[in-house]
Amino acid sequence: MSLQVNVKDLLSNLYHNRGIVELLFGQRDQVTVNELLGRDDITEEQYKKLISLDILFEYENIVSLNDSVVAMFEDFMEIGEVTPGFINDYINELKRHIAFYQEAREMRFLRSIKKYLKRINATLTREIIKLQKNVDDTYKNESNYRIKLQKLEDYREKRDTIIEFIKKTTDIVDETRTLFSITNDSELFGIVTALKASLIENLDFLIEIQTDITDFINKIQFQLDVYKKAQRLKEVKDHGTLHFKTNFREIVQNINTLKHNGHKTPKTKIPIDFLYSDDGHVLCKRISEKYKITRLMVRGLADKMAGNFKDKGLEQQIKLDTEKLVDRFLNQGKQNLFEYLMDYKFPKMIGNVSFEERLSLFVEIAMEYQTQLDFKYRLQYHDYTEGETKKRLGYTLILPMKEKVKKK
Amino acid sequence: MEEYNFNLPKQTHDIFAVMARGAFISSNGTRDGMNRLYDVINNPENFDRLQAYFNVIRYNIERGNNFFYFSKLHEPNSEIEKKLERFERYIDIIDLFASMDNKIGIGSRFRPSEIAEECNANVRLKQKLQKIPLYRSETLHNKVREICDLMSRDSFLELEDEKTESYKVLDSYTYLLDIINSVAIYEESGSGDDTQGLIYN
Repeated sequence: MSLQVNVKDLLSNLYHNRGIVELLFGQRDQVTVNELLGRDDITEEQYKKLISLDILFEYENIVSLNDSVVAMFEDFMEIGEVTPGFINDYINELKRHIAFYQEAREMRFLRSIKKYLKRINATLTREIIKLQKNVDDTYKNESNYRIKLQKLEDYREKRDTIIEFIKKTTDIVDETRTLFSITNDSELFGIVTALKASLIENLDFLIEIQTDITDFINKIQFQLDVYKKAQRLKEVKDHGTLHFKTNFREIVQNINTLKHNGHKTPKTKIPIDFLYSDDGHVLCKRISEKYKITRLMVRGLADKMAGNFKDKGLEQQIKLDTEKLVDRFLNQGKQNLFEYLMDYKFPKMIGNVSFEERLSLFVEIAMEYQTQLDFKYRLQYHDYTEGETKKRLGYTLILPMKEKVKKK
Repeated sequence: MEEYNFNLPKQTHDIFAVMARGAFISSNGTRDGMNRLYDVINNPENFDRLQAYFNVIRYNIERGNNFFYFSKLHEPNSEIEKKLERFERYIDIIDLFASMDNKIGIGSRFRPSEIAEECNANVRLKQKLQKIPLYRSETLHNKVREICDLMSRDSFLELEDEKTESYKVLDSYTYLLDIINSVAIYEESGSGDDTQGLIYN
């Protein structure tokens, strides 16, 4: 028998094994014992314990959760099978307590009456939502049409039952109106008003569901009828009398779909200019591949540009800005052009400027800015090492124009 | 620019591209945003504008139960022989679908292998499948695949999942059912037993 004595124990057991509970709830009646024990989050011992606590059941090697637990989850999530029977129980309880209250005006009976009125309201709404969900789900997902029809018929019956309960509840509320007004209890009054409103609303909702069910059943029925007809047509066709004993020809003649009338997709010619574009080239390439033409590759696509091409451009721009460099040179008097360039600290963005590059810059400036420079026509020597050999380079002494020197 | 003058939805081009190909737009299709296109056409304001717009180029939007397609205005329907051939084939296919234990209807999902297996287990179905003309595939499975492929090209089915090869029956399938439903059979063609015998042969 169940060892669950209190809520706390039950909750902590469920919580402790929440992974298992979730799995078993999600895949009802599909998990085998071996599968479950193969998981990391449960040991054989724990499993035995859960069985002994009646939380899990094992039947023919399939593990399932205790039905009460499943029912609790389903109730909360408003899923699962429609079970209007509960409502009837509540109605009976309600009647009993009303009788008690009529006998002895005690608060405890009134409390129960309120409780059951609330419960009836909540349960009705929940059952109707479930009904709606299930009807829709059955129509859309039940693949076996016979079961589908049967299920829909069942739901229709359940709907009738719920309507009956609604009527019963309305009757009870009406009968006890005087009793309730005597109590002068504002809470009870509120509950009854809410219940009445939701009864009317739910009745409307049920009518809608009824239309849905009828519609779904009709659709299935239509499909079945057509299928029967299709089979008969096939028989007629196999007899070779399709064109003579039916108006098939006539019907087909009147079919106006584009596809069946030999209309092709409207085709447009490709403009020649487009073929010269990059997209056009891709198109040509595809066609040439398809027809195995190999000589078409006259013009290819340009290679992808390097990702850093922008940075490179920047570098060039800075280098080319020699004018400022010359200006700076002209505004100093200590060094000659060659020394100035050799020692010049170029901005970091350019990076390391090699000896050769400085040299070519020297030549460039000497040629382009000769008017602003003072050529001394005297050689000076610069010693440097290239690899391991010592080298000496002779260069012309170039100074800023004299006037500027004088000014300084 | 013209689009703005007509106040057309921005999906007009997509709608035209699908329907001018002769395809159906079904409400339960999911590929290439088909259900979205359906909703666009189904909006009454859009429908009137689109209809007026396409009518200019002599296309007419035809409305079915949860699907749309194009027809051509002022143009005699042609190619009767081809059409007859096609629809005879549809009868074969629908007859096969109708004879399955688990009938395939609108919204059903199935895999060709399931049909092939059922056909393999049932002599009557096997013969039905084998007698469907135009297919040269050797195995039953390939034959069913070809049928599914053909039906998908005609936009009655949709390949929902390529990996599992799972197909879904679209709303446009109603069109075929409607056609079949509208064919009148003038008289009972022989007794039931007789025809049964013929199928068994």
